[in-house]
Amino acid sequence: MKKRIILSLAVVTALTLFLVACSKKTEETTEQPAETTTAPQPTPIDQSTVGEVTGKVAFDGAKPKPHRIMMDQDPVCVQKHSGPVFAEDDEVNSNGTLPDVFVYVKSGAEKYVFAPPADPVTLDQDGCMYKPHVLGVMVGQTLKIVSSDATTHNIHPMPMDNREWNMSQAPGAAPIEQKFTREEVMIPMKCNQHPWMRAYIGVRKTPFYAVTGSDGTYTIKGLPPGDYTIGAWTAIGGGKGQTQEQNVTVGAKATKTADFTFKAPS
Amino acid sequence: MPDSPDKDPVVSQSLAVYLLIGSVLLLITLWWSLYDEFFGLRPWKVYERAFVQRYGAFLKRQIPNQRAKEKMIENSPEYLALKQKLADLEKETAPKAKELDAESAGVEARTNAVLNLLTTDRAYVGSQIYIIEHTLSRGSKQSLQKDLDKYKSGPFELTLPRAQAGAKEETLRLTFDELEDKFNDLQKEKGRLLLEKASLLHPVSELQNQVDSYVNDHMDGLTVEALRGLQKKNEDFEVEIKQINNPDAGIVDRCESCHVGIREPVVMTRKDMGGMKDPMSAAFTSHPDAELLRIHGPDRFGCTPCHNGNGMDIARVEKAHGHDEHWLWPLHPMANVEAGCQQCHASDMVVDHAPTLSQGKQLFEWRGCMGCHVYQGYDAEPEELLSTQRSIEQSEKQREEDKLEAQKSVQAGDQAPDNETAQKLYLKANELQVSISKINLQIDQQDRRVKNLMQDMKKVGPDLKEVRMKLRPEWVPVWLDNPHAFRPTTKMPRFRLDEDELPAVSAFIWQSGLNGQLAKQPAGDPAKGKESFQTRGCLACHSVGEGSNTVGGWFAANLSRVGEKDNYDYLVRWIHNPRERTSPYCPYEKRDLTEDDYKKHGLPFVFDPEHSKCPNDGHELLVEQMTPMPNLRLSVDEARNIASYLMTLKEKDPSSYPPAPYLNDPKMKAKGEEIVRRYGCAGCHEIAGLENEGRIGTELTAEGSKPLEQMDFALFIKQAKAKDWYSHKGFFEHKLARPELFDAGMIKAEGEELKMPDYDFENKPGEIRSLTTFLMGSVTSEYPERYFYRPTDYRRDIQEGWWIVQKYNCMGCHQFTLGQSSVVMTLPQYQTPDGKGQLPPRLLTEGARVNPEWLVRFLANPALSEKDTDRDGVRSYLKLRMPTFYFSPIEIRKLVRFFQALSQQAMPYIPAKQELLTAQEVTMARALFTSPGAPCLKCHAIGSPSHDQYATAPNFLLAADRLKPDWARHWILDPALIDPGTAMPSGLFKLQADHYVFAGPTPPAFKGYNGDHAELLVRYLFELTPQEQQRLIQMSGSNLNPASAKPSTTENRRKPKSGSGGTLLGMLGKSH
Repeated sequence: MKKRIILSLAVVTALTLFLVACSKKTEETTEQPAETTTAPQPTPIDQSTVGEVTGKVAFDGAKPKPHRIMMDQDPVCVQKHSGPVFAEDDEVNSNGTLPDVFVYVKSGAEKYVFAPPADPVTLDQDGCMYKPHVLGVMVGQTLKIVSSDATTHNIHPMPMDNREWNMSQAPGAAPIEQKFTREEVMIPMKCNQHPWMRAYIGVRKTPFYAVTGSDGTYTIKGLPPGDYTIGAWTAIGGGKGQTQEQNVTVGAKATKTADFTFKAPS
Repeated sequence: MPDSPDKDPVVSQSLAVYLLIGSVLLLITLWWSLYDEFFGLRPWKVYERAFVQRYGAFLKRQIPNQRAKEKMIENSPEYLALKQKLADLEKETAPKAKELDAESAGVEARTNAVLNLLTTDRAYVGSQIYIIEHTLSRGSKQSLQKDLDKYKSGPFELTLPRAQAGAKEETLRLTFDELEDKFNDLQKEKGRLLLEKASLLHPVSELQNQVDSYVNDHMDGLTVEALRGLQKKNEDFEVEIKQINNPDAGIVDRCESCHVGIREPVVMTRKDMGGMKDPMSAAFTSHPDAELLRIHGPDRFGCTPCHNGNGMDIARVEKAHGHDEHWLWPLHPMANVEAGCQQCHASDMVVDHAPTLSQGKQLFEWRGCMGCHVYQGYDAEPEELLSTQRSIEQSEKQREEDKLEAQKSVQAGDQAPDNETAQKLYLKANELQVSISKINLQIDQQDRRVKNLMQDMKKVGPDLKEVRMKLRPEWVPVWLDNPHAFRPTTKMPRFRLDEDELPAVSAFIWQSGLNGQLAKQPAGDPAKGKESFQTRGCLACHSVGEGSNTVGGWFAANLSRVGEKDNYDYLVRWIHNPRERTSPYCPYEKRDLTEDDYKKHGLPFVFDPEHSKCPNDGHELLVEQMTPMPNLRLSVDEARNIASYLMTLKEKDPSSYPPAPYLNDPKMKAKGEEIVRRYGCAGCHEIAGLENEGRIGTELTAEGSKPLEQMDFALFIKQAKAKDWYSHKGFFEHKLARPELFDAGMIKAEGEELKMPDYDFENKPGEIRSLTTFLMGSVTSEYPERYFYRPTDYRRDIQEGWWIVQKYNCMGCHQFTLGQSSVVMTLPQYQTPDGKGQLPPRLLTEGARVNPEWLVRFLANPALSEKDTDRDGVRSYLKLRMPTFYFSPIEIRKLVRFFQALSQQAMPYIPAKQELLTAQEVTMARALFTSPGAPCLKCHAIGSPSHDQYATAPNFLLAADRLKPDWARHWILDPALIDPGTAMPSGLFKLQADHYVFAGPTPPAFKGYNGDHAELLVRYLFELTPQEQQRLIQMSGSNLNPASAKPSTTENRRKPKSGSGGTLLGMLGKSH
């Protein structure tokens, strides 16, 4: 008798299991709380361990012939200069180094997130020349364009990766403030009314960039220890300019040297 | 023998076993048939069930994602601000709304009170009036009326509820009429209150709508609510045959019984629907081109008209897809899926959403397939010419008949017995004379059409009449032997000439060439020539460099080895004007005319589009080379430089070619001619003596629906069937890859072999695919008219325009539609900031930009000048100038309509009347123009060479003739919106209240002016005269280059409005 009860219980259990197994598969609820996309938080960086990369950018070969800029078409521009003006693209420092080279951490710093600085970078138009000639801004940082000239300029960046724009700026008009949203090395900037005017803007997500000066040196500060690829860009050579890169390893609190040498355009 | 009874089978035998077997079999069959019923014969049921399950899961997976997106939008400051605004507005209007509601309620209560009383009384009065109307006796009528009047005078006691709290209840004693008035007043009051409330709440509901639609409008993909709707629909899914039934087209398409999700408004990939390994998932994806499906709604068109396959059969996948020996229209394979577009889009040269087919259509023309094969729509000019000539003959015949008839009528009239008859006959004669005049005018039109059509006829290959002047003789046989060896990208195919045929053909070509004398050209400067070659736009069509070093366009020849073959003197002449012939051809006399023909009639040996009549018989001559290459209007010096540069392009020295003395052997000529005729060389080339050769190939207009049995598989049928290429696709692919393939194994007499030459398609699989797609789609079709894309409105102009645009490779330099890029845009020299400024204009809004009458003039003569032609008429600063294509008026009309249609502009264009500027406005406009804040004249040309060397924009004097004012206003407000990347800056004007004002320092003259500054400037531009422009230049003074304040050259001045060139017809008559 007992056996029969156990048997029937087993049968019932088996049937139940069978039915459960056969019943429509209930789908697991996958509705998780939605992840809201907000601006990522800046990565904290231990300032006590950071190092730096420094170096010199040399020029190898005969100095290119200076290219004189004729500003005759706008007397306002001519008046601002006492002597002849030469194109900055071909400039070489007296010590054989290159000015206006944009040196930047090309890769290796992607893991660090930086908030764009609140302070804008200023680009001045003075004597129908851009000052500075080469500059860097961070993605999302404000580029403030002012004019010290009594003539109308138009500011026309011609990027490949960012959006193109072209704004008129009359004398005395308010500064133009713009931001770039994507990394790009370099964005040429021109004025259609003064076609010799040229500036180059490097847009980076990190603050790890520098521009060489009249001594041809640069220093990129505040780098957390790690492996980096350092890129260098110069306008020399015409067209899109030239770029070089090299890999460095920066130790804690260390100063690493990375020198570059660019050749004369063939 | 004992008579024993037979064994009784009933007793002794049993059929139980058989019965058992039988019943088991029956049972099995029953189960089998049931199984087949539900699963076997109806595989689509399995599909539908699986789809419901997977689609449900898919939707469920989407929800969290979409919810997150919704949340983000709902948390966006803009949305929150909008919501806040709504809340504020609601708060603001709430007290007043409440007040109105209370008031309404009061009115409502009082209305009810009146109504309570009125309803029964009104019914009584109504019934009494009815009785009075139907009472016959006057006496009774009067007495009844009296009773009624007495009743109506009441009094009726009305108790009105309180109007406001605190007020007293009112009791009134009224007559019936007063009661009705009271009721009507209350109704009016109610209406007024409702209206007031509606207008109070209108902004609230507007805002509410904005808030409600905000999330939906800003959502990427569907909202959660919409997804839930889809889920619900999916849960209620009924497993049944899904079919589209279009009786007028004979379509019953059940494809959606398996492809269940094809129309769902979400994007489902195979991965979403079961993964790449599960064959079922392929059926469940959404249509890959939702836009295409939207245009061709499946309920209207069905599935099989585009895709082929057997729409009715859903028993098996293979059968449904038409992969069955007995089904003529198998599903188009994925690689050639666009073939389905062709049958309805045969009139389109460019088919949107179908890049492969479009390429095939273009290749068919570009590679010269139509040189041998008739295909309706392609190279239509010769046929049109013929029919025009025929209709001229008919008109002439009609004219003669009418003349005779008129004469007869006059004669009969002269002898008529009475005046009435005579008048009738004279009238008839007059009418006939008018119709003769009409015929005369018509013939003039047709004559002009003949001339224009001859101008439009082009050949795919160069003119072989000029080989003796153009080429080095030794090069000819080398080229003919294998053109791809010399120039891998050439469109010239390889003819399979054997060692006897090659010299014969070469000799014939050489000896049939005309003997002409070319002017000896001094050498040019190759370095300057290279610079010109790279900047004048040659690379939009031509390329240089080989393999991966190739730079430039694909449309015309690669010039890397042109120095090995060409004669320098000829090349200079060609670059200077490629349309220039050495002698004109007379189709009537069927010969090339010589200087003597002209001398005989005392005429100079001048022939061009303006001098195109035969001196001997007045017939139209062929006066131009039949090449699409335009005239770049270069100086002879520049042409020499470019030619000198091109002559340096070679791989080996021309002297290393073996001599070919047989070229001049007259015995070879006859055999050569026979071969040239056989291969139909004259389909692509002009060859002396073979001008009237027909096309030698089969017509291909409906090749895709030719029965397979009629296709020449020759000995390959078995192999094709075995290897699964016994199909139209298989035939086309094999034929294109190896045109001689089907000769294999056949015993043929000499000259009987297949003639189709070898295009080296084996190395161009993309081209095989495109052409196969095009040919597969080339079918006769029996669908109803509504299926075909044959628009009669502006879209027809677009269709026709594309044929011209492609014929001349306009896309080498220009952009016409969004997303399309030109060849020059991709060249390295146009990537720098300065290079970008030298790009030809984008024509995305050309129809809205320019006055079509001006465009007619510009297309006919892009220099916009008869004398000063070495420049671009609009953008003198462009090195890459618009060349002269010598378009015929037929083509100009089509192009102008094309542009107008692309921008959906009404034709003909009737400019809106412009209000003349007042003296005050002129002063203001001048001040604005010359203010340092708007240095317009700095970039725009003014016609003075010293200034214009810096100019990067057109002269304003062109504006009035060239532009449309509406476009001009939009342009100066924000040029970057119309042409991103333009040199013209934005931000010149800013919106102030409802009008635009100048953004820079406003000149004092503007004080108190409330008009739109941009509009003022446009009106000024459209009134600008050369004198006024001079004045502006002087006023600008030191703001401009000082050297520029010189009078402008006359060429840029606007012609006076009146007189020639004003109207479309006038221009078309004038050009050529």
